[in-house]
Amino acid sequence: MELLRRPIFSLLLLLSLPISFPSISLGSAVQGEDGHREEEFTEELLLKPLPDRKVLAHFHFENTAQRTQSYGRHHHLFPKAISQLVKKFAVREMELSFTQGRWNYESWGGFDPISSSNAKPPGVELWATFDVPPDQVDASWKNLTHSLSGLFCASINFLESSATYSAPEWAFQPASGNLRYGTLPREAVCTENLTPWLKLLPCRDKAGISSLMDRPSIYRGFYHSQRLRLRPAKIIADGADSGIVLEQTLTVVLQPNGFRTKSSHSSENKIPPTWAMSSLLGRKIEGRCVLAKSSNVYLQLERGLVAELNALKENQEFVGTTVLNDDLIENPAFEISVKPDWVLKEVGNLPTGSSSLMYGYSIGKSTDSGPFDLHLTWKSPMVWSCPRPPLHASRFLMGSGNERGAIAISLRSTGLNEGLYGSNKDKESCVLPVNVFQVVPWYIKVYFHTIKVFIDEQRKAVPDVIEKIRVSPSEDKVLPGVMEMVLKLPCGVKSAAMTLEFDKGFLHIDEYPPDANQGFDIPSAIITFPNVEAAMHFNQFSSSDKSPLLSRFREKNPVQSYTEVLLVPLTTPDFSMPYNVITITCTVFALYFGSLLNVLRKRASEEERLLRAKGRSSPLSRLLAKLRRKKEVEPQSSTTSSSLFSSKLVVKIILVAAIAICWQYFG
Amino acid sequence: MAEISESSNSSKISSPKAEQEEDDFDSNTMRRTKPGLKRLALAFSVLFSFLLGFPLLWKSIEIYRAPLSFKDVDLLFERIKSNPLQFPCNFRAIFVGFDSKTSEELSRLGYSISNRMTGLASKTPQCGTCSGNFSVSVMIDSNSGCVESRHTPNACSHQCGEIRSVDFGANDDTVDDKLESALGDCSGKSYTVVVVNGDTGYKAVIGKYRHAWIVGRFSEEEAVLKISEIFVEVFMKGGNEEGAIHGEFMPVGADGRIVLSYNLLNANPQDWIYDWDFDRIDEDMLSPVVEALRNVANISVESQVLYHTPKSSYSHWDDERGAHIFSVGDLPFFVNSNEWHLDTSIAAGGRSKILHFVVYIPSAKECPLLLQLPDGEISKTNGFISPMWGGVIVWNPPKCLREPESGHPAKHKISSHDLQMINEVFMGQLRQLFGLTSDSLFLGRLGKAIQLTSDKGFTEWELDVLSRQHACFNLHSCATTLGSLSRLVQSLPRMIIMDEIGKQVDFSLEAAKQAENDASLGIFDSSADSSRQARSLAEDAFFHPSIMSVSYYSFEHCFAVYSPFFLPVSLHVILAALKEWKRYKQEKTKYLTWKAKVDTAAS
Repeated sequence: MELLRRPIFSLLLLLSLPISFPSISLGSAVQGEDGHREEEFTEELLLKPLPDRKVLAHFHFENTAQRTQSYGRHHHLFPKAISQLVKKFAVREMELSFTQGRWNYESWGGFDPISSSNAKPPGVELWATFDVPPDQVDASWKNLTHSLSGLFCASINFLESSATYSAPEWAFQPASGNLRYGTLPREAVCTENLTPWLKLLPCRDKAGISSLMDRPSIYRGFYHSQRLRLRPAKIIADGADSGIVLEQTLTVVLQPNGFRTKSSHSSENKIPPTWAMSSLLGRKIEGRCVLAKSSNVYLQLERGLVAELNALKENQEFVGTTVLNDDLIENPAFEISVKPDWVLKEVGNLPTGSSSLMYGYSIGKSTDSGPFDLHLTWKSPMVWSCPRPPLHASRFLMGSGNERGAIAISLRSTGLNEGLYGSNKDKESCVLPVNVFQVVPWYIKVYFHTIKVFIDEQRKAVPDVIEKIRVSPSEDKVLPGVMEMVLKLPCGVKSAAMTLEFDKGFLHIDEYPPDANQGFDIPSAIITFPNVEAAMHFNQFSSSDKSPLLSRFREKNPVQSYTEVLLVPLTTPDFSMPYNVITITCTVFALYFGSLLNVLRKRASEEERLLRAKGRSSPLSRLLAKLRRKKEVEPQSSTTSSSLFSSKLVVKIILVAAIAICWQYFG
Repeated sequence: MAEISESSNSSKISSPKAEQEEDDFDSNTMRRTKPGLKRLALAFSVLFSFLLGFPLLWKSIEIYRAPLSFKDVDLLFERIKSNPLQFPCNFRAIFVGFDSKTSEELSRLGYSISNRMTGLASKTPQCGTCSGNFSVSVMIDSNSGCVESRHTPNACSHQCGEIRSVDFGANDDTVDDKLESALGDCSGKSYTVVVVNGDTGYKAVIGKYRHAWIVGRFSEEEAVLKISEIFVEVFMKGGNEEGAIHGEFMPVGADGRIVLSYNLLNANPQDWIYDWDFDRIDEDMLSPVVEALRNVANISVESQVLYHTPKSSYSHWDDERGAHIFSVGDLPFFVNSNEWHLDTSIAAGGRSKILHFVVYIPSAKECPLLLQLPDGEISKTNGFISPMWGGVIVWNPPKCLREPESGHPAKHKISSHDLQMINEVFMGQLRQLFGLTSDSLFLGRLGKAIQLTSDKGFTEWELDVLSRQHACFNLHSCATTLGSLSRLVQSLPRMIIMDEIGKQVDFSLEAAKQAENDASLGIFDSSADSSRQARSLAEDAFFHPSIMSVSYYSFEHCFAVYSPFFLPVSLHVILAALKEWKRYKQEKTKYLTWKAKVDTAAS
């Protein structure tokens, strides 16, 4: 505090600052058109009970800015830092995600907009497209990684090296050559990344929906993914990008603190745990962020759940107790504490019979009646399933040892594809295309010719299955190996697998990360189903004008899922090895050199003469002579010289020892 | 082997004589043959090849160091230190309405003015002033024509009688413009004081160009005193006491850039939300200022609006004033760095200076918020500055009226009148950050003078002062940085120096030389410009990433790598050479004794 205090004090005397600054002409003082209103901010929260008794909370904040003259310099709502970033590096589109935990595609869904755009691989994932000539893209990317690294307190700058990022052409996203993609699977995500992310919101976490972000509750969750997405806004009809949209989402999967324990397997246990927003997130919504154009909370009921509820309803109607509305607000299975302001129903071409329901709450209204809190009380057991992706993807390693191995990607049918293509009678010609995008670090040397494809446990010829493939082989220390391919699988496929063999490379001693014994991560592969779109259309309720969250749901994005991150153990050297090698090699050389020199100077006859002169004087020489089977010759009397020699030797040894000791202690 | 056979041969050869010598030949002290040189040559050739190879090895483990011109750096450092940068200035006094004089008399008058000025200016030559190097010329514009003093370098003649025709009773700004049109086309930048002998009351005005005029009735001696004071205190020193800039109060970043970051803080948007039309301020008010300061700094402007930004200390309610009072003592706690996210700008480079200008709109419960001076008065501007950081203004919404509790606060815009007022205060704060006062009156020892202000925020003579001071500061800082760099580089002989650093140092030295040249020619703005470049290049060299990173490849490391081989080997080689040398000497004496013996026997 003292430090802080001193410099500011020195200038307090300047407090009185007489206005002496007249006559600055203010051009046309007329307030112009409502210029800054072009910046818009909305906040939304989606809650969804999940089939495995957890609850999904998805925060969605959207900030729109027009590209005006002063873009990147003067801003009212849009964060200045982001706009400067966009302007400086000519970013066209960008997505940055920080994730902890792995999305469970089986039980949390893999076929809805939330999972296909918000389920992210663990660690950091960053991709961006740039509005620059192709030869400057790499430079822009490197600068961008450094800026983001500073902005979000993360080691995104490690994505700078060309061995960590790649340029996918079509399997990740249909994009021009200006796309760069990189991941850091081992980045730990915590509050220090969330705080700068919150700083970009106009209300930060002081008011509105973002005030729900109680750090301990969020980080206690099973999955936590914080995302920042920049996209060009095409508001004006001519299609030119007239602005930029900053979309910030936070997706968390939380376990409600259920009152029931899951010890028994009774039917009682099938009742999902009752939860409230305040118990789940630890806080209530005190009021909306006044800067937000709209501030809504949604509760989504999945198709599976709605179908179960409808079935229950029919049963009950049959019994004749209650008559239920179509919106299921009153139903025998659960009760919600606040009546929704509007109910939206999914419309359109639905694969399964029932449609999903969305209860909407507008926060602006509910502030009058105290803080907003939503309770969901379950009354009867309920089991349902979530929409799964057509194929469940997983990836694993095969082989053992530190030399070679194989990566296997396995796709297992979830039974959905039959439903999807059930109507298609001509099963032979029906094809399910699957895009696979896989980046492999250079030290995993993948042999792409070893691709083997198995469909329904039958090995298939590669050209029969792979429609299109693009491989960019890795280059040591420079480029990662990238594989993009389109698989065409028959619709009725039960399982498909693909294996790739690899050799483990050696790293230079400088390239090992700290804790190298932990192993090395292979980033997640991305499996995309280009023909299957995860879009949800809700009948627009008039008052819920243009909710950005719902318009994101309406976007026709292909279903996408990420595989696991693989951990490959590599041979890790003893890190003191180089010095040991240097020492031993040098010692050997020195020995060789010394003995060579000694041999060169040796005088054999003279030594023999000396030996003869010494005779039996020393037992060692006698032994040597014996070993050489030399006849002993009568010694000439020279005992004095031998004693002299030995005393000299002793002195020398002592001298060397003394030098060594001195070296040890004073060197 | 050869030696053995040789010795046996020689023993055979010498056998005929052996009979007589056999008895006094002692093999321990004598030998019959010359000692061989082969092993000695071998041992020494190995030793010498090692010694010869040593420089090669030394060369091979040498690390790359770009040649830095240490000598030039030291010279610059010495030069800047021993004689501070001085600019030549031309001063001109024009007497209107005085009796006509001869040229010699005027020269004497000019001499007395410059004497007086030397007395006023500080004794030791200060950096960035012209106290050591100025010329004064005097001129009289009287009814009978114009007379100029001799020795007027750079004399630029204006139309005689033009000054006389100026109506000094008119509006100050008009007079100023007229003077400028009469005198301004001079090529050299000279400062002019016009002394008008008139009957109207005393009045002194310092214009917004490079002129001042004094109207009144006074004697020549009085006029000399007043003229020299205006020359020294205003035009030379810029109206403030200390001439040079202190390092910690330098508002320009090391790369010669300033980012003016304007922030509008809504302490509590639940009460009211205010917004501004900053584009208009930027275009109409700030761009001329940015343009005017172009030589001193490269300025960019940005703005943002922040919400939920309470101040970090409390105010107290004052019934008398009907307002919340925030006293000076709490001012250090006004800026709430936890909640005010006045981010550093990404658009700015790493070493740019960011000056924050903050408009603080208090929340409803502390609405009329006033800052109180130490003497109990209320600050007129309701703002304060913090050197090197920026300035804060508290702006209270009109009437502090809160909307009815509708839950949704209305969004307002700060009116253009208020914006202009705010900007004026900000300009004053910016001037203070640059070390200039914002008083409209200059209080000298001999009376006060009115200071006119410019649309650009800075008058031309103020810009001259700034250019001079910044040129001086930049050169000083450049010399110090380069000096430290050269000391650092010389103290770490095993530090890698990239070529780029050498280039930057050279360019920096070049720019510094250019700045010095311009300074000696009196071109202030280009001198400031080059000196800024010199400083920025010097800082770039000093903070080059290759110096900052692990560039120190230590001698210990080198020793550890090479000693396992060279230590034992050199022991062998040296011992072998020594032993052979010893043996050779010993054998030679043996041979010599035998030879001597043989010789004596023969004789």
